[in-house]
Amino acid sequence: MSSHMSSRGLPEFELLIPRTSPEAMDMLAQHRDQLSILNGGTALWNYVRGRNRVTPYVLSLSALKGLDYINEIPGDGLRIGAKATIAQLIEHPAVSAKYAALHESGYWFGNPTVRNMATVMGNVLRASPSADCSCALLALGCQVILQNKSGQRAVDIDDFWLSYDVTARKPDELAVEIRIPEPKATTRSAFQRLTRVRQDLAKLNVAVRLEMDKGVCQQARIAIGCVGPTTMRVKKTEALLQGKAINDSLLEQLATSVRGEISPIDDQRSTALYRQQVAGVIVKRTISRAAADKGATQ
Amino acid sequence: MKTRSITLCVNGRDYTFEVPHNRTLLQALRDDLKLTDTKYGCGSGECGGCTVLINGKDNINSCLTLAAEMEGKHITTVGGLTKNGQLHPIQQAFVELGAIQCGFCTPGMVMKTASLLAHNPNPSEDDIRRGLEGNICRCTGYENIIRAVQKASQMINASATQCAGGACS
Repeated sequence: MSSHMSSRGLPEFELLIPRTSPEAMDMLAQHRDQLSILNGGTALWNYVRGRNRVTPYVLSLSALKGLDYINEIPGDGLRIGAKATIAQLIEHPAVSAKYAALHESGYWFGNPTVRNMATVMGNVLRASPSADCSCALLALGCQVILQNKSGQRAVDIDDFWLSYDVTARKPDELAVEIRIPEPKATTRSAFQRLTRVRQDLAKLNVAVRLEMDKGVCQQARIAIGCVGPTTMRVKKTEALLQGKAINDSLLEQLATSVRGEISPIDDQRSTALYRQQVAGVIVKRTISRAAADKGATQ
Repeated sequence: MKTRSITLCVNGRDYTFEVPHNRTLLQALRDDLKLTDTKYGCGSGECGGCTVLINGKDNINSCLTLAAEMEGKHITTVGGLTKNGQLHPIQQAFVELGAIQCGFCTPGMVMKTASLLAHNPNPSEDDIRRGLEGNICRCTGYENIIRAVQKASQMINASATQCAGGACS
């Protein structure tokens, strides 16, 4: 039966459902850029419906076992398997206890149904500058583990997004794991985003990681989304924090600096002017909150 | 168009049938199985009209899920909550508290509530509001829906207590 308006269909493709990792690698090597990877589906099907076109092949990860883990490895950090969902992320006790920015980005992500389906890896691979978990991951620093038939390689998140919708993943590679380094006892992080209503995509999002020592910031990473073709760091602003106590006059300097480092655009969610103004404010608030170690999800 | 033979377990019954590779779970339910209780709203995971449960607990958008990926999973639609013509307490509470006006969002709201209560039998009002995010209602203004979820939670907990006390057959 043809599809009805009552249950709008998808364009045609051939669906591949590998049962094992080697089988998946073979399919990736064979079909390369003629293939899309289907994980949770929330990003891919919206992308496909928006353009009404899809690659000839779609490879579903649904039958691959053992990729839906989130493991804390003491002394090393957090490992997130390719199929771990946002719902799993926010329920994981180590994530809320030690990786506040990531927990907050998952807490505010989409809505409960989308969080049950969408994966952390899918958020990274979509390479959208508005992606919330991606923003937190860039601030925390992490590696994306890519695997093909001949082996694995690790790509730093700073080098992973090449431009809008383009990543360092090669067509024959499967992204299998995210590795986040373990924070020190004095590491602080936070995430904040702006939306019109809760389940919207962000107009702007910010995540920070601060290495603190007795009220002085030793090192900072600041990630901002929706202000360029990819989620980006503002390194000049990060440098201003180094060796400084966090006070109101420093926060004002940071806000001014951030506004000079970004070049947002007008789109359906916001304007360049608003984003330029508000980026400084949200950076100030996120840094203050991280430094004070106050959560944003309660 | 290539097709695949799949077996879906919907509301406790197995259905084996051929689907095109691009068939969504929602299309399979509505167009192939004629189970039209699950609704198409937005096709993008924003309205919640197509919400169904997987393995009795987790809610998903059936418009963003391929039927062929659901092989071996148990799917519950709102029609599966009604047993022997008897409304489920969630359905009963929605009727009693006027949480239904035009009714189009109701199947999704009821399934989202079923998932919420399966994970959290005693939700606070804030838990309910956060738990129902992603399901849009244009008629009720949500207030009666919130009250209905509270009532359903009380009804389910009361009947569980009764059963534990040996009052259920």
